[in-house]
Amino acid sequence: MNNRCITKTALSLAAFLGYLSTSHAIDFNPNYSLILDGHYKSEKSALSETDKGFGLGHVELSISSPVDDLFFGKLTAVLHSHDSKTDVETEEAFIQTLALPGGLSVRAGRFLSDFGYLNSQHTHTDSFTERPAVYRALLGSHYFDDGVRVSYLMPTDIYWNIGAEAFSGKKLRANNIKDPNSVGVYNFFTKIGGDFNHEHSWQIGFNYLRNENGTSPRSHPVEHHAHNLHQKHHDEEEHHHHDHHEHHEKEHHHKQHDANLQHSDGNHSHHSNHHHDHHHCHKASYTGKDLYGVEAVWKWAPEGNYKYRHLSLSAEYLQARNITDNKTIKSSDDKHDGWYLSSVYQFAPQWATGIRYGEFNGLKLENDHHHKNSLQETELMLSWSHSHFSTIRLQWTHQKGKGLEHINDNIITLQYVMSLGAHDAHQF
Amino acid sequence: MMRTSFNPLINPLINNEGISGLLFALGIALGITPALFFIPEATALNILTCEPEWKALAEQIAPHSKIYSATSALQDPHHIEARPGLIAKMRNADLAICSGADLEAGWLPLLQMKSANARIQNGKDGMFYAAEQIDTIGKLENVNPTMGDVHPEGNPHFHLDPYRLMTVANALAERMAKIDPNHGESYRENIKQFDEQWQKNIRKWEQEAKPLKGMQVVAYHTSFEYLFQWLGISMVGDLEPKPGLPPSGKHLSRLLKLAKNTRVDAVVYASYQDKSGAEWLSKQIGVPAIKLPMSVNDNNKSQALTSLYDDLIGKLLKATKSNG
Repeated sequence: MNNRCITKTALSLAAFLGYLSTSHAIDFNPNYSLILDGHYKSEKSALSETDKGFGLGHVELSISSPVDDLFFGKLTAVLHSHDSKTDVETEEAFIQTLALPGGLSVRAGRFLSDFGYLNSQHTHTDSFTERPAVYRALLGSHYFDDGVRVSYLMPTDIYWNIGAEAFSGKKLRANNIKDPNSVGVYNFFTKIGGDFNHEHSWQIGFNYLRNENGTSPRSHPVEHHAHNLHQKHHDEEEHHHHDHHEHHEKEHHHKQHDANLQHSDGNHSHHSNHHHDHHHCHKASYTGKDLYGVEAVWKWAPEGNYKYRHLSLSAEYLQARNITDNKTIKSSDDKHDGWYLSSVYQFAPQWATGIRYGEFNGLKLENDHHHKNSLQETELMLSWSHSHFSTIRLQWTHQKGKGLEHINDNIITLQYVMSLGAHDAHQF
Repeated sequence: MMRTSFNPLINPLINNEGISGLLFALGIALGITPALFFIPEATALNILTCEPEWKALAEQIAPHSKIYSATSALQDPHHIEARPGLIAKMRNADLAICSGADLEAGWLPLLQMKSANARIQNGKDGMFYAAEQIDTIGKLENVNPTMGDVHPEGNPHFHLDPYRLMTVANALAERMAKIDPNHGESYRENIKQFDEQWQKNIRKWEQEAKPLKGMQVVAYHTSFEYLFQWLGISMVGDLEPKPGLPPSGKHLSRLLKLAKNTRVDAVVYASYQDKSGAEWLSKQIGVPAIKLPMSVNDNNKSQALTSLYDDLIGKLLKATKSNG
């Protein structure tokens, strides 16, 4: 259903890389990096893309290089193993200008949006095993898309970047949108930052994302036939199983899910509303026409020496407005929102610990009513990095909330993230 | 007169740069237009250096420039974040001076890209890599990840070899003259003076450091390799089990065993390196632990590089005296 998730064999990519390394292109000396990311998770958790048990995270292969003195190019391919299938997904394939005058730069292709603080960062640089709940709900964990970005860095001593992006917006489309705009998302952001001295650095940011296809339409009476069928099913579920997570889990097995979708043909069914699209396609499950975000980050390293010790504090608040045309929702309810506060302390060259608390509150829309969904999540993390290239992380997650599937008191995740090849630059 | 009176106001905002039409339009939009009418003329270069030794060198050659060092002597230049403050500094730089040889691989490329400054991209005259001016030692043909944090392009800490430093200094002066021809004469004049003074200093240091010849030390891998080679000091043990990895207990006891069979005169570590392993080992062996400055610090402006070398040699000499 999401045609981005093209199932291909990993072989063609490997062949392509082999070709690159043996061809004698002049001055083509790109950076290659391979990220291996795997985990064991004791329970499935709410709003999560990963299942219980062993699994792979973002196994990614990337190639980047300046193209010439004007352009830089990067390709990141992500491998997902799922139901004994392997999907190759292009997460990034972009070019960026290097030499436009006056602090301007343009990026085009597929890339991570600069909305918010975490979104533009690669997941393997994260300090926790998954993105905060509000990111998982509103951005599909991390929002990347096809589009273009123009940004301008002010010539000030204070870092001050302003930018605008336009994207296809397919991942942020509300369900059952008929005739969507082909340029669906416009994002405007500004980031301001600086150093108090060598030890303390800060950054704040403001974001506004306009999603032309973000408002869920009302159900359409013309399609009563299919509608009724699902309504019936839905009612049954309401009466007997509404709070039983196990049932929902069954409901969302792919096969059944696909069948339902075919049946309802894009109309308003209970199941597509709960849409767990393909697990790794990162489609946002809560959308709205307007998405606002604020972010703040502060980092401290004694004597500025990040190698031995450093502390970082970050927080973001996101709010989606104009989420539906449905008149049964009061205007004060017409929003999803959430936030997180995270603190990570690297107390020795090889050890770091962190705590994060986050919340998400959203509305799940049914045919003529809605459910309030909420999630509160507390996470504790301890990680050990043998070298720059290898990290093993143990995380405890505690979830509370209502209306969502798989809310679990205690989830233990053991994860490794290893990078082979060029080391990634240290983004603030 | 206008310029002097407005400089304090304008400089924090605008860094001697021509304003494009777009910025002008943005300026109007943001209501800061009044500030933009008083743009100071470009006087000298706006320079960002990756390490403080290059800042000290640039100050010798271009004393009237605006120079900012991204790191201090207390920071390990391998582990720096591409902070917003550094991106802003890079945005306005006419010239960036970095060691190269992959020392700044973890952050410089990001600064170059995020700064959106065409002048300091690789291959442009505004990006000066010191390592490209000299021959590094310890180049590796085949590097594999099990070797740790190694530099295939050779040891990047060559600023502690006075001869290589001189070569870099001369190349830097030429580069400055190329991108700022109006002040070319002054750069050439300054480097000539510095060169003469430096040659004299080298002779003085080599005289002073004679007692250090044959000294045997345990140190962090490549940090002082150039210095040791120059002064005839040999490194008999490495505090890091592998480059980039902190000294483990097991590794330290191996070094202790080594010290039973091999003479060790001192344990040496750099200003930004962890001292605990080094101090433990020095106590066990019964030799001094010497903390050496990796680079210049902010205290000593005018003759920063000279006093760095004085300091290095002085501290090593002091250790040999207390030993003997």
